[in-house]
Amino acid sequence: MPTDTRRITGPESSVSPYSFCKIQEPQPLFNSQDLRKDGRKCDQVRPIFLKTGVVSKAQGSAYLEQDGTKVICAVYGPRAVIKKEEFSMKGQLRCDFKYTTFSCKYRRQYQQDNEEKDYSVQLLEALEPAVLLHKFPKAQVNIYVTVLQNDGSALAASITCSSVALCDAGIEMYDLVTGCSTRLAGDRLLLDPCKHEEYSSKEHSEVNNGSVTVGLMPSLNQISAVTSSGEIQFEHLKKAINKCSEICVQLYPVCQQSLSKSVKENIKENT
Amino acid sequence: MAGIELLSDQGFRVDGRKANELRRIQCRLGVFTQADGSAYIEQGNTKILAAVYGPHEIRGSRSKALHDKVLVNCQYSMATFSTGERKRRPRGDRKSKEMTMHLQQTFDAAILTSLYPRSQIDIFVEVLQSDGGNYCASVNAATLALIDAGIPLKDYVCACSASFVNDKPIMDISYLEESSGGAELIVATLPKSEQIVFLEMNSRLHEDNLSHVLDMAVKGCKDIHDVLDQAVREHVGEVAAISGLE
Amino acid sequence: MVDVQLSDAEKTYIIHGAQDNLREDGRGCEDYRHLEIETSVVSTTSGSAKIRLANTEILVGVKVELGETSPENPDKGRIEFFVDCSANATPEFEGRGGEDLANEISNMLARAYDCPSCLDMRKLCVVEGKKCWIVYVDVLLLECGGSLFDASSIAVKAALYNTSIPRLTVTHDEGHTELELSDDPYDVQRLDVYNSPCIVTLSKIGHSHVVDASQKEEACCLARLMLAVTDKGCVTAMKKEGSGSFDVSSIEDMLETGKKVGQSLNKSLMEVLVSEDRNMKKKYMTGYLR
Repeated sequence: MPTDTRRITGPESSVSPYSFCKIQEPQPLFNSQDLRKDGRKCDQVRPIFLKTGVVSKAQGSAYLEQDGTKVICAVYGPRAVIKKEEFSMKGQLRCDFKYTTFSCKYRRQYQQDNEEKDYSVQLLEALEPAVLLHKFPKAQVNIYVTVLQNDGSALAASITCSSVALCDAGIEMYDLVTGCSTRLAGDRLLLDPCKHEEYSSKEHSEVNNGSVTVGLMPSLNQISAVTSSGEIQFEHLKKAINKCSEICVQLYPVCQQSLSKSVKENIKENT
Repeated sequence: MAGIELLSDQGFRVDGRKANELRRIQCRLGVFTQADGSAYIEQGNTKILAAVYGPHEIRGSRSKALHDKVLVNCQYSMATFSTGERKRRPRGDRKSKEMTMHLQQTFDAAILTSLYPRSQIDIFVEVLQSDGGNYCASVNAATLALIDAGIPLKDYVCACSASFVNDKPIMDISYLEESSGGAELIVATLPKSEQIVFLEMNSRLHEDNLSHVLDMAVKGCKDIHDVLDQAVREHVGEVAAISGLE
Repeated sequence: MVDVQLSDAEKTYIIHGAQDNLREDGRGCEDYRHLEIETSVVSTTSGSAKIRLANTEILVGVKVELGETSPENPDKGRIEFFVDCSANATPEFEGRGGEDLANEISNMLARAYDCPSCLDMRKLCVVEGKKCWIVYVDVLLLECGGSLFDASSIAVKAALYNTSIPRLTVTHDEGHTELELSDDPYDVQRLDVYNSPCIVTLSKIGHSHVVDASQKEEACCLARLMLAVTDKGCVTAMKKEGSGSFDVSSIEDMLETGKKVGQSLNKSLMEVLVSEDRNMKKKYMTGYLR
């Protein structure tokens, strides 16, 4: 829904209500017992709920919940490419990543902003290596990822969720892709960060402060996505990537379980 | 505009030129390797890059193809940092769309279009720094790029602007003179055959003076032609020397 | 990006070459191609730089404008990146054709500069909570010959180094704040870009990886790793691009290479910039005329 620019929605000069917010003092990310704000240990991941087949119209879909982070993904296709210019003998993937307008602290717009476009591309590049694109020539698969509620690690959750949805849609794949992110704070690695733990440039200025997200194909042991932000030394970066890959491997059974469960249910229904 | 005297009693303009003097023109052909033809021109502080691709197959929808002549496709864009105040976008605004159309019309008249039916020639113009006379410099740059690409033209296309200050016509006006509110006449000609391929005038000018101003602009085109011709000859000489053709 | 068609035999040749640390143009795997930098080329900007990396031609203009501070960061200025893929580079970029690539580059640049030590944004604040300098970095891509991210980041760093911001005097007068611009055009504030990052793109070819891939090499590479490396040897942004994937151990090798190449790139870039700055008055500007 595009916004109407001609309609005056408020007084001509206005001040954002957020400018009256008191700027919170940055709080330490963990307390003296090494426990984080929500009571987790540094290397503890939030529990995951994963369910497939949640959108009945779509070929495949999945819903993933990690405490406050809720992601839904629907996969449509393979369907014929309509535009002639986009013809290709390989199949094509299309990704659309969107935060719902109410998912974050500040209201999001209906149109994709730069961050969402960036995430769409990263998601696409994370999934592409895992899909047998040559199996559906001249066709495309559309993946729509919607973040219903964002409490950190949205990209990592979307990677896991969309690869499960692709699998649910019966698209042939080499492997699933699981995602994990971590926050670096000095020597510490805070796995699966919440929103307030995620890196933002305005807080600290010390080195080794940032976020890393990794997408891994666990049975092939291949990394298909890796991004970082914030200033990190190379040694810490390596450590973070390795730690994330470890967690990604641990996520694998969760995905397998939910997929096999849905297959079993399907068989039961059809017989 | 009060305060600024565009033409002094001694006959000098703000930047020290005489009324019938062009700004310094410096140019270079073959700036890029990937384009079929490219050129860079500096007219005073106006700096423009032009690239030509083609003639090639029609891109996009085939319905655009013309059965008896080549399709001349132009794009005019200005770098966001080219003007004094930052531009929000490089192209797509009304002014650059109009400029694109004008360039297209100009070169449609100058290229031997009937030689390449069902094909397309792309002319892309990029303004790097703007100080008045953007259209003129764009045309001159595009002409050089077309020549560099080896596309048959009827003649050089040279463009020059002129204005009228203190009962005197002035040639090749800069941004300051353009924005002072006086008349602005822009003309593109084929200098040898003395044909006008494009003519535009803004603001108010008395009918009696029109011919003086037009003569001044056409004279400017001829001067520009001499400069461009020399640059082309030098370039061809260099290329010939490099490829051992002398 | 511009497509290059390669036969299988040519691809094999390039892949085997990369394995033996010898590339089609005689470079080693960790070498950049010839690089030319020129600063202050556009006089309508606060700072500008033009870079030519083999066939890649990029012009960067930096303009500073006075604007409102954002409510989240009342004590900081802002930096905004805009990339324009000119149709001069390839006809595919005509109209909105280059927008996807442009967005990718500007997002990566924004992410690379989004950390406090790269550029001190607090120095760009004029009146806290009210006025600050907004630095617009406009990248204009004029010719594509591979390594666009690397070349853009180098050009951006050079242009920021070249940027001069007019000095302002702030006076408070009965609740009013007045800004006064210095009359002296040489009374300016320069940006400290010593710790700004340069992007190094490592392209995976076969089992080895190369820096600054040419277009032919890009055609036989499936996955690239981009690292924004600072002089101190830190990564400020990382991104994987392309449809391939990496082995866990090969990422470690690539990080090693990235660190080495990135640090030496930063070092030599700063040397060139400092020496060019010193010779500024003697030099005659050539720009695109050579």
